[in-house]
Amino acid sequence: MQYGFAIDQRTCIGCHACTVACKTENDVPLGQFRTWVKYVDSGEFPDTTRSFGVMRCNHCTDAPCVQICPTQALFKREDGIVDFDNSRCIGCKSCMQACPYDAIYIDAESQTAAKCNLCAHRVDNDLEPACVVVCPTHSIWVGDLDDPTSGIAKLVRTEETAVRAPEQNTGPNVFYLGADQAVLDPLAAPVDDTYIWAKPDAQRLETAGDLPGSPRTKARTTLNTAHPRPWGWKVVTYLWTKGVGAGALMLAGLAYLLGIGLGGVGDWVAPVLALFGAATTGGLLVWDLKRPERFLYIFLKSNFRSWLVLGAYVLTLFSGGAVLWLLAAGFDIAWLMTFLAWAALPAGAMMAGYTAFLFGQAEGRDLWQSPVLFWHLVAQAVMVGSGALAVAGAFAGWSEDEWRFVAAAFVLGTVVHLLMLAVEYGGKHASRQAATAAHVITGGRYARTFWLGAVLPAGVAAVLGAVAWGAPASGTAAGLLVVAGLIAQPALLAYESVFVRAGQDMPLS
Amino acid sequence: MTAETGREAAQVPMPGARSHERLRNFPPPEDWDAHVEYDARSHPRKVPHTYSLIPTICFNCESSCGLLAYVDHDDLSVKKFEGNPAHPGSRGRNCAKGPATINQVHDPERILYPMRRVGERGSGKFERVSWDEALEDIGGRIRRAIVEDRRDEVMYHVGRPGEDGFVERVLQAWGVDGHNSHTNVCSAGGRSGYTHWMGYDRPSPDYANAKVVLLLSSHLETGHYFNPHAQRIMEAKAGGAKLVVLDLRLSNTASHADLWVSPWPGSEAAIFLAVASYLLRTRKVDAAFMRRWVNWDVYLERLHPDAPKDFEVFLERLTEDYAQFTFEYAAAEAHVPIEQVERLAHIVADAGTRLATHTWRSASAGNLGGWQIARSLFFLNVLTGSVGTVGGTHPNGWDKFIPHFPEMPEPNDTWSEKLWPIEYPLTTNEMSILLPHLLKDGRGSGRLEVYFSRVYNPLWVNPDGFTWIDVLKDESKIGLHVALTPTWSESATFADYVLPMGHASERHDTMSFETHTSKWIAFRQPVQRVAMEKRGIPYQDTRDANPGEVWEENEFWFDLSWRIDPDGSLGIRQYFESKDRPGEKMTQDEYYNRLFQTSVPGLPEAAAAQGMTPLQYMRKYGVFEVAKEVYRLDERPLTDAELEGAVADEKGVLRKPVTLDSQPPLVGEAGAVGVVHEDGTRTAGWLSPSRKLELYSTTLADWGWPEHATPGYIESHVSARRIDRGNDEFVLMPNFRLPTLIHTRSGNAKFLNEIANTHPLWFNRADAAKLGVNTGDLVRVTTEIGRFVVRVWATEAIRPGVVGLSHHMGRWTQDGHPGSRWVMGKVDLNRSEDGIWRLRYIDGIKPFKSEDPDSERIYWDDPGVHQNLTFPVQPDPVSGMHCWHQKVRIEKAHAEDRYGDVEVDVNKSREVYRRWLAMTRPGPGPDGQRRPEFMMRHVTPKRSAYRVAMVEGNA
Repeated sequence: MQYGFAIDQRTCIGCHACTVACKTENDVPLGQFRTWVKYVDSGEFPDTTRSFGVMRCNHCTDAPCVQICPTQALFKREDGIVDFDNSRCIGCKSCMQACPYDAIYIDAESQTAAKCNLCAHRVDNDLEPACVVVCPTHSIWVGDLDDPTSGIAKLVRTEETAVRAPEQNTGPNVFYLGADQAVLDPLAAPVDDTYIWAKPDAQRLETAGDLPGSPRTKARTTLNTAHPRPWGWKVVTYLWTKGVGAGALMLAGLAYLLGIGLGGVGDWVAPVLALFGAATTGGLLVWDLKRPERFLYIFLKSNFRSWLVLGAYVLTLFSGGAVLWLLAAGFDIAWLMTFLAWAALPAGAMMAGYTAFLFGQAEGRDLWQSPVLFWHLVAQAVMVGSGALAVAGAFAGWSEDEWRFVAAAFVLGTVVHLLMLAVEYGGKHASRQAATAAHVITGGRYARTFWLGAVLPAGVAAVLGAVAWGAPASGTAAGLLVVAGLIAQPALLAYESVFVRAGQDMPLS
Repeated sequence: MTAETGREAAQVPMPGARSHERLRNFPPPEDWDAHVEYDARSHPRKVPHTYSLIPTICFNCESSCGLLAYVDHDDLSVKKFEGNPAHPGSRGRNCAKGPATINQVHDPERILYPMRRVGERGSGKFERVSWDEALEDIGGRIRRAIVEDRRDEVMYHVGRPGEDGFVERVLQAWGVDGHNSHTNVCSAGGRSGYTHWMGYDRPSPDYANAKVVLLLSSHLETGHYFNPHAQRIMEAKAGGAKLVVLDLRLSNTASHADLWVSPWPGSEAAIFLAVASYLLRTRKVDAAFMRRWVNWDVYLERLHPDAPKDFEVFLERLTEDYAQFTFEYAAAEAHVPIEQVERLAHIVADAGTRLATHTWRSASAGNLGGWQIARSLFFLNVLTGSVGTVGGTHPNGWDKFIPHFPEMPEPNDTWSEKLWPIEYPLTTNEMSILLPHLLKDGRGSGRLEVYFSRVYNPLWVNPDGFTWIDVLKDESKIGLHVALTPTWSESATFADYVLPMGHASERHDTMSFETHTSKWIAFRQPVQRVAMEKRGIPYQDTRDANPGEVWEENEFWFDLSWRIDPDGSLGIRQYFESKDRPGEKMTQDEYYNRLFQTSVPGLPEAAAAQGMTPLQYMRKYGVFEVAKEVYRLDERPLTDAELEGAVADEKGVLRKPVTLDSQPPLVGEAGAVGVVHEDGTRTAGWLSPSRKLELYSTTLADWGWPEHATPGYIESHVSARRIDRGNDEFVLMPNFRLPTLIHTRSGNAKFLNEIANTHPLWFNRADAAKLGVNTGDLVRVTTEIGRFVVRVWATEAIRPGVVGLSHHMGRWTQDGHPGSRWVMGKVDLNRSEDGIWRLRYIDGIKPFKSEDPDSERIYWDDPGVHQNLTFPVQPDPVSGMHCWHQKVRIEKAHAEDRYGDVEVDVNKSREVYRRWLAMTRPGPGPDGQRRPEFMMRHVTPKRSAYRVAMVEGNA
């Protein structure tokens, strides 16, 4: 069984009755919408047209929000409704990243995720959703799409329909009849400085210039709702802190296995950095929750398909490993050290790289759907981890081997990071959304930060690191590496900030 | 969707009930006393609440769509409003404003207690007062005015009434001539055009069955009657009907049109006459219909006296008379491609008798001579014989039902010059826009003892609001201003008493509207009180059920009437006295029991079939359909009772004897019952003087406008010839509405505010480029009496030469005055000694703390621009309609200009008033009459009052 909607835009008059009936049925706070009507004006006078599109949750057959939700607060019912339970939600906003339809918001009252649930509380009472009841023109159809005898199934079978973002392969179950592609395609119609009778939100105004639009139809979005980026500086920062901790421990492990040692830096600084990185990451993650007091739900109500949960376990194991490392170093337990050194390699890689899988589950953010993101994150971790170790090394009286090892790691990490950037942004993108976002980074609003804040310093750091690597051991060489290590840190932060923002800047509705 | 099941079809019709597969849209009526629903916010935990579902009707626009209030059994609070499946007009469905009623009920800014002004009027300071004190004061003043025969000094000024007939009866009982409507800022122009065809002042298109729907309005998004009409227009469209929309801007309605024509404002009549001319010259007319129903004989007599009285000759002459209206002519006047006019003609010609047309406000309300736009539009119906047919256009009276209370007071014999000045004998409705000017002129006694503004915001909605303020503040002109309103408004702060009235779920009213071919009557109820009654909880009146001390108007009027005539000596009290309990006030239950028992045909029987009294039936279902699918009532044979004593006059009009003491009906002449045809049949006909469709209006001719006696084209005050585009002159269209808002009445509905909350000036992109302005830029718009500053929206959705600024916005309150913070900005308001008013925002809309956490989440800041302040009164000399379109000059804003600035010179507004007054052709008309008797009036006085000499004789 699969409940769904069919929305007949041929008869929809853009009256917003569905929007308001939904809000009064579900007590939706001001500024938030489970369903809304988008307007697009196209053409030139006197051949101007206006199209409407009723936007809402698509009750996807393969709902990415359900998959990413760490606490099973979002779930798919037997009848196909994608429902939510706000008593389980921790407010991590990952579902908002997973949804390719801008359907989910954090309810201002409960601080938990909410969306259209097809008025499941009414359906359980054999009543139609509120929007269906109110619609003056019967433009909203509801019913079981799997039942070939249902009205909606017949309609969808016999009429030409379209869905939003079919390329996301989520199996959307909201079918549009007679909809203008410019309404369904979020990239087709940018906003002007005003809507027809409301004001575009800051993000839509900021990103309007990013969208290609169409010189032929001149389509402009003339009414829509706000969907600000769910994730901000905390996520950007934890990508860095995680990288530093993961990279430091991985390199310490490798150095140990190669017999290079790194002395006190390997014994103490690396695990402390690892712990610090993991703790900061965890702290930022919890801080970023809308219901931080519920953070334990990640472990108590785990959805093991969610990389937020798996990531939390990685973070926990990694932290545990770092603690053991300190114990092993403190009590000089060689066998344990060897084991931990081996374990640090995959654990560090996972610590740095699990975010790639989490971002991969963020189906709404095409920019983040990179097949090389895992390796890119590992390279970044090596870059910033070795950079951090180098700074510590300045106080540790390292041998030439130790310097060379760290310098080599730094140079390799940084060069791979730069190569990955070249691959990510120089190559062809899998989707228009990703391509548009990439262009915003390399040639658009974020180009300055990207080129001057991220690429150029990383390049300089790589050269300095290479010089340090190739130069005979000397205070100067060590100094160059320390400087390079220091430069790399803000360079990565700059990059993550544009990567995280641009990914979320692309409109989904 | 699947079949409308009409579950209760065997008993009570449920035209809006539907079920498919497992789901239904409404709980069945048998569950309405105890319907269990799960709490949405607790879902998926099942938290059941038990509700009484109590029907009422929406009080936002006039459509009167059905609502079902969900009253929680736990605390009698209203949880939400859904549609009412029993309602034949709205059929269980609503626009956004229906469900948003809950915002109005729970508005933390609403007025909960009677308030009395402190300090001078307009100081914005109020104190709480008891209902008793307020009623004593108001009642005493009204009593004195009546006793001292100052019966034109009590005025009830109503916005959209949202009720039929109740207050009319009250005013009639008081014997005052004091009913003032808002209609000449609204639909007077359209009504005038229809009135002179058929007496009835409104059309009722049978959209659902139409082949062609031709609209001058935006019925898919606003207006009378938006939701019911939109349902049926889209049904017709889905069935293959063509939709044609004439609108200066791309409305949502126009976006659905098969043909959208955006003519130069005021040229619409030229287009319709070109279509008429095409129909005539190609003989695509319904000759048989015209021969029987058009007063073609009068047409020939008056315009072609030498022609033989022959229908074919008439058709020839008519064709010749309209030959000047070629497609080329219309296209040139309208500045539209000739192909559009041709295409329209072909579409109309193809409609046969299934042509549904409608104009309500829009062009008819915008232009000098706008009434001729309505008249020429209906001409197309007359020519095609699509009048009263299936899929055609009906008069509203066929599809509307007003029950009259059996005990009606004696009609009054006064005539108020403040409402019906002699200069405007043909005005469709009261000359309400002129009230401040008429008071300044000293009309009648030059003052009002008591002025009620009732759910109405006159200084905001009318043109020339600063002159309203001048007069509202002047206690020598208005003795007492009583604002009856649920919420604070600009006008209420200039009142002496502000009395809180109920919203849609807090009052009794009956309403009926021509939503389709059906006569239904709907019942508005104080739902919490009904719930109390069901649950056996005692109450005295609605104040015990409503929030705070919010009262329903009906009980207020009854109580006030008793205070006016406490001992019954004025003969007023008797109309509000209980029949069963002499000496006590009639209750609302008694009133409606009797009304429904005696005056709604079929209701007592339908109720009895359910084992109910008529009142119980209406309390349960909220609506009753008196008749449906009524067509061609003009052909209705007269009954014996109607014919009894009726004699045909020389034109075949059947009349019963009347005296000067007779009271004309709401519409039509006293005593007239029908018409005898050539073939001897005697049918009801129309409500025009001739009982026929008046192609030649003898009224217009005999009351001074012979050149406009036939459908014609009057050049608008903003015609293309009168706008110097080289000098950056434009036509401002200030009167279009948005789908989610309704004048200032929706101002306290947060879910509507959040959808529409900016006020851009629609500006054709090419025009904007020429002026060097862009979206977001400020421009200064100068009218004849002042100017305002507004932001530009450069768009392709409006024609060049015209700019548009929606109605609804531009709300303000002065610092320290009460207001509604959802929608109002704070202003600094200044008047110079010599009459220059200035308004400037000192603060926009901001979040605020209240018991509703949403008030802190307000994310809009734009209160809009109060443009109406800068418009002079521009009453059409025939219809009295305020001609909304403004000739304006637009320039980039000056350095000192701020968004929302308004500046007006009220001396200039007086000059403009006098200039438009000079365009009139004052009465009295034939027989010394002040106004043609057949024209609609809400409270008709005795026939004697219509006659100037008789009134003077009385004085």
